[in-house]
Amino acid sequence: MKKHTLLLFVLFLLNLYSESLRAQYTFFSPKENFAIEVSLPNSDLKRLPIYRNSISSLIIIGDHIIGGTTANEGMTPFVFVASLKQRQVVEIKDLNEIIPGQLAIQTGFCRGESNALFAGTLANKKTDGSNGDGHLFQVDIGQDGTINISDLGNILPGEGILSLTLDAEKKTLYGVSCPSGTFFKYVIDTKKISTYKNIAATGEQIKTLKEYDLGPENYLSRSLIQAEGFIFGSIPINSLFYFDTKKDSFQVMKDIPEVWGRRTLGQVESWTRSTNGKIYGGNAGDGQLFEIDPITKKIKNLGKPIGMNRLRGLSFGRDGKLYGIAGGQPGYAHLFSYDDQDGFTDLGNPEFTMIAPGIEQGILWRGFQLGTITSSEDGKYIVMGEDESLSQLLIFAPDDKYEQRIGK
Amino acid sequence: MKNETKANMNGWKSFTFFHRMRGEKLFIMMLLVWCIMAEIEVKGQGKEITKKNITFIEYPDFPGKVSTWGSIGYNAKYNTVFIGVTNHHDRVGFYEYNPALKKMKLKGFINDLGYLRPYQWQAKIHSKIVFGSDGMTYFTTDGGESREEYLMDHPAGYVGGFFMKWNPSTNTMTNLGMAMPYESLKDIDIDMETNLLYAVSYPQAHFLVFDPAKNDLRDLGRLGSSHVPRVIFTDWWGNCYYVDWRQRLVKYEKDKGILVFAKNSLPAFEGTPGGKIITGITAFAKDHENKIIYLVTYGAKVIAFHPQKEGIGPVEDLGGVADTGDQPEWTPYVPNLNFGNNGKLYYLVGGHGNYVKENATILMELNPKTHSRRIIYEFPSNELGEATGSDIKDKDGNLYFAGRGELIPAPGQASSEYFEGKPNSQPIMVKFNPTKEVQK
Repeated sequence: MKKHTLLLFVLFLLNLYSESLRAQYTFFSPKENFAIEVSLPNSDLKRLPIYRNSISSLIIIGDHIIGGTTANEGMTPFVFVASLKQRQVVEIKDLNEIIPGQLAIQTGFCRGESNALFAGTLANKKTDGSNGDGHLFQVDIGQDGTINISDLGNILPGEGILSLTLDAEKKTLYGVSCPSGTFFKYVIDTKKISTYKNIAATGEQIKTLKEYDLGPENYLSRSLIQAEGFIFGSIPINSLFYFDTKKDSFQVMKDIPEVWGRRTLGQVESWTRSTNGKIYGGNAGDGQLFEIDPITKKIKNLGKPIGMNRLRGLSFGRDGKLYGIAGGQPGYAHLFSYDDQDGFTDLGNPEFTMIAPGIEQGILWRGFQLGTITSSEDGKYIVMGEDESLSQLLIFAPDDKYEQRIGK
Repeated sequence: MKNETKANMNGWKSFTFFHRMRGEKLFIMMLLVWCIMAEIEVKGQGKEITKKNITFIEYPDFPGKVSTWGSIGYNAKYNTVFIGVTNHHDRVGFYEYNPALKKMKLKGFINDLGYLRPYQWQAKIHSKIVFGSDGMTYFTTDGGESREEYLMDHPAGYVGGFFMKWNPSTNTMTNLGMAMPYESLKDIDIDMETNLLYAVSYPQAHFLVFDPAKNDLRDLGRLGSSHVPRVIFTDWWGNCYYVDWRQRLVKYEKDKGILVFAKNSLPAFEGTPGGKIITGITAFAKDHENKIIYLVTYGAKVIAFHPQKEGIGPVEDLGGVADTGDQPEWTPYVPNLNFGNNGKLYYLVGGHGNYVKENATILMELNPKTHSRRIIYEFPSNELGEATGSDIKDKDGNLYFAGRGELIPAPGQASSEYFEGKPNSQPIMVKFNPTKEVQK
């Protein structure tokens, strides 16, 4: 009898515990939120096929969301255009039709004169097993969303382009190649290429990194940013650098904010710039957000938004808050916001409503794995792209006040 | 309206004309034929189904048991039914029912049988229990409760779901390993020719293909929306089916090793909410003779699916699961389906606070040829509040469901295994035969 009483009591306590957890999280539900169906196999709608749609590059020009994808090995990526007003994909373009053999568009898009967009690719292996040649390319989007892609050629044989940024005044692109980690400069008008070995990992560093089973995509700078005539990025092991575009010289800065014992994981994978001129970076290794004053070069560790590594994207909304994507595999990515006054707010997995032909009643789409984030030109919309086998766009308009929806 | 009246009148005119021409004898003869036909139809229905056609079988030796989920399957080689019974927290009993001996036996608890450490706790077997042609028995495990999500680094967080194999001849469990970190495995199915296992993960709805012979696990990626469809099933060739967020069938073609997507969504009632659509199929049953797989959707449709070896075959809408009165037609909840030897489908409607009749679970019969359906039995929900299980039929045509009674009816509650902090659910196995009496 006593045993049964005890058992019932334990079950009662466990249930209380379980119920409280069941209601432990709410979904972030700004008034204006929606998802755009980008990927759907076997459809007459303009949609991307499976395994070729992980959204790894995003930019918004006017009403157009322009995306670049990453494919599974041996497959090729797409460029697509979606309309914010229409809330649907309006155009897709298979990159293989223009530049064969490519694997991924991971650099993001750099916006140049007349809204010309520049991006770089990582290539699939060649048939003989050797490294493929990644390309630089230009994208021009027509008013109706038509996509025109121009191949600007390969920077280095056997190398892809992992990261890219633009100095619009100098009309010059700066990038990091992969796997060697060669820094390069590409003058848009003259197509002149200059390469620099200064930030490539040394033999000793590569040996150390291999001990931790880390490859070039894990330790090379996955993101670059231009500010005040300097190009900022990261170099192994766990350091920041800047390239002075006036002097064509490199300077190694202080370490990336880290968690003790995890230095080898240090890698900048996202940057953005605020209106006050400061730049904000994200450490893939441990998920710290940090800020740099590009003039004084002072680095400040702002901490971690969630208890996971990765900080895959950063972008400012019109409310002045910084929005970002933290975490990811093997857990779930979280949307977060940050400002100096409130600090971090973890907004969790976004779950927004998707309406499209055939699902007019609307379904909920929950973003477990988010790869990239950007803002509309006026900052009204924040747009996130998924990193999935079938990836979609998740979009919201930042509000002053959010209503939280109880999770079910 | 005018046309209809005219047609009817024409029909009457024809009859009277025929009658006049052939006389009274023919009329009487036709009446006789009609009576014989009606008698045949009555006989075809068999005797009225009574409590004697149904029995509840209890699970012994597990005082803390609370529920069963989809965790039931029939092993044709050994003529036994296997069931996973859980305390819905960290203990899952593995049971075997032998219809010949009429005996239900606890074979052990999966954490002990599968050599799981306490930090590898599992709250449920949510999957079916499936069988290779050699009688080897397979299932997957599930976190099954809130502490599963977001608390990966919690002291009692969830590590992920496992594939398990049970050998009925030696009574031994083999732990085949975990699938994805932190993800539960909601369902499993098997290609009986190769013993290739299929599974679906929760909460990210990844479709997995696992070859235990090679220890080769393929993750074919996320296929679902914000709610994970719980059921996968296989066809006669060992291909496996799931649904995407539009409730379109997605087929894994095992010969090619690829996913094939149906062009169109499965039938749904107009206005079915998106939350029902994304949840897809809740149960299935196979008519092996006619090569039809019957499906029930979360939107309460019964569908006849005619699989093809290559591509996705046609589907046929058999209508709703039950008359819903004032409620929308998509509301009934049916997480179970069986196909009787009499060619009719049987399913229990109700569960998760969702009942067609107040505080009652109804046993339905549907004739897939005529689309006619009827209620054949009603259970108070405290006796039987919900039942799961797909396609469980023994060699004598007995049908089985993994059921549980809600001790206190909890209308509107999504999950009623507990109510106001107290265990509120008593699992039992339902044994049913539509054409003869059954025994425990």
